[in-house]
Amino acid sequence: MLVQVDELNIFVATGGKIFDPDLPTILFLHGSGGDHRTWAMQTRWFAYNGFSVLAPDLPGHSLSDGNAFSTIEESGIWLAKFLNTLGVDKVHLVGHSQGFLTALAFAEHHNDLVRSITAIGTAAEIPVNEHLIKTAETSRDKAAEMMCNWGFGPNAHQGISSVPGMQPIGISRAIMKNNPLEVDLRACAEFKRGSEISKNLTMHKHCILASHDKMTPMKAGLLLAKNMSVNPQIIQNSGHMLPIESPKKTLLALRKFIETIAS
Amino acid sequence: MANSSYYKPETIALHTGYTPESDHGSRAVPIYQTTSYAFDSVQMASSLFNVEQGGHIYSRISNPTVSVLEQRMAALEGGTGAICTASGMSALFSTFITLCSAGDHIVSSEQIYGSTATTLRYTLKRFGIECDFIPINDMDALRSAIRPNTKLVFCESISNPGMEVSNIPEISKCANSLGIPVVVDATFATPSLNRPIEHGANIVVHSITKWIGGHGNSIGGCIIDGGNFDWGCLDEKNKKKFPELTDPYAPFHGINFWEEFGPTAFVMKVRSEAMRDLGAALSPNNAFLILQGLETLDIRMKKHVENTVALRDWLLSQNGVSWVRHPEMRDDSHIKAMFPLGAGSMLCFGVVGERKGGAAFINSLSLATHLANVGDSRTLVLHPGSTTHSRLTKEDMEAAGISEDLIRVSVGIENIEDIKVDFLNGIKSALRTIK
Repeated sequence: MLVQVDELNIFVATGGKIFDPDLPTILFLHGSGGDHRTWAMQTRWFAYNGFSVLAPDLPGHSLSDGNAFSTIEESGIWLAKFLNTLGVDKVHLVGHSQGFLTALAFAEHHNDLVRSITAIGTAAEIPVNEHLIKTAETSRDKAAEMMCNWGFGPNAHQGISSVPGMQPIGISRAIMKNNPLEVDLRACAEFKRGSEISKNLTMHKHCILASHDKMTPMKAGLLLAKNMSVNPQIIQNSGHMLPIESPKKTLLALRKFIETIAS
Repeated sequence: MANSSYYKPETIALHTGYTPESDHGSRAVPIYQTTSYAFDSVQMASSLFNVEQGGHIYSRISNPTVSVLEQRMAALEGGTGAICTASGMSALFSTFITLCSAGDHIVSSEQIYGSTATTLRYTLKRFGIECDFIPINDMDALRSAIRPNTKLVFCESISNPGMEVSNIPEISKCANSLGIPVVVDATFATPSLNRPIEHGANIVVHSITKWIGGHGNSIGGCIIDGGNFDWGCLDEKNKKKFPELTDPYAPFHGINFWEEFGPTAFVMKVRSEAMRDLGAALSPNNAFLILQGLETLDIRMKKHVENTVALRDWLLSQNGVSWVRHPEMRDDSHIKAMFPLGAGSMLCFGVVGERKGGAAFINSLSLATHLANVGDSRTLVLHPGSTTHSRLTKEDMEAAGISEDLIRVSVGIENIEDIKVDFLNGIKSALRTIK
């Protein structure tokens, strides 16, 4: 569906069901250069099983108008407007990579709106190599190639796909190279308050990490889990792109957490 | 790298899409000779039908053995996804009907395979889809032929049988600038010699019966989605140009393929609609046999090309050979740019004695096989003047770009000296017809 926020058309995937704000709502936030398709294999399950699902393309990404935010804080402020527009007063936040930083920035000021927060394939802070940012500034395609090389784990590199006939690396690269990677990466690099915010979260919390994550390495993920005071769930043989390359395991981990809270 | 794998093509062909540990450690890709797949539970069945998760339901739609081949083909061509079909023609037909509805229009190269031309000229016309045929490398002709209702531009990377090389970078630039996707039949090239998506094409189709399988034992086709076309584009009246992919699809929960799948919207629509309705599924056994061929594609293509160049040069020096045609003999700069490793292993030549000479040549061969196929590991020959086009007059054949003396050769990977000896016998027989 399309939603108007700040007079811009924002595309929001709702998992194949019409959005109903009266159902428990889960908000899925994509990472750098990504879009709602990151969550294709999680959103539909929740939408068909008693939840309302929102997976927006953040401004400037894929099917949404506007420009990408140059800071994580700005995206957190925008998220409040977005949820207000849709009349959502309580939300489960799920963020992948940069999406989790956005969730943190939002949660810091809207603790009361957040039912739970789940970190997937991420860290409290995501330092980004300056060379990668510079590459993205001159060639998004080249940067997307580098990101996919590092971002995907061994199975994806072997061309294994949970959807018959598809190539997850090719799909992600096609999406990333058309999105404002350079702005997203710079915003990640400059966000330094993740550790502090993550230590002060008071809602239900969960952390799902990947054993072969090279973008936000396990060491950083474990530190985040420690900050959040949770036992992380580690998905084996998967890289940074957890929701895409290990969709079933990611969904199961999410279901277990969110269904427990919902019940 | 290709767009979708960091492995080199030789490695992709051997490893992509399958790891041994998933199937009892079987090193070879197993043949899943099954119609259907048991559901763990009612919930799991619903989730598959609701596209909540990926997986197999019924082998007309997808099959694990076939999927390995699909994932390898997608990776080799640098696409986002692929679908294998029962034949190259069913791959083409599925592509055409996925993008076109009654009232739509196709622009095609005039130099294409006869059966494809028939489909475009006659069969699709019965369903209200029209096609104009143009000299595809003439950009003015291409621009003029595109209408508001044009849904795709079609060409073959190396045409059959004319062996014209389509200038894919220019064609793609021109068509894409007008909001039209380019579909390329890359059968004669194979991804070892040319990957059309890298040159700007949007969809690639193969008859994998030919060089991909390479052993003349199985019929199959494949469609690869380049993931590089904006199906959400609007026409000049600001209406959706491709409602087939951007409107809710009632038979499938009102799904919007473009919104849901983005770079795989086209190939997912093919699987959801054309595979369901046409049922032209590749059998798992054929997929297995074609996989055996694919695994050695790269080294076979090197040998095919090496033999083709050697045979071409040898034929040019032979008394009794009137002319030789091979794409690399043309002076067009795009050919070298698109085919740095060689422009395929098909060549045509003429022998003295016109139709009689051609027939005598064929009848004298003992190693090369006279049949209506190409892309086998073995050398194959065809004399259209005494077979496919035997009922045509000399004038009608010339209008179709085929001379009476034309011999079409699909050069195999035998020792080149043995091929030459065989062809020399044929040439001597052709010479006898004029004495």
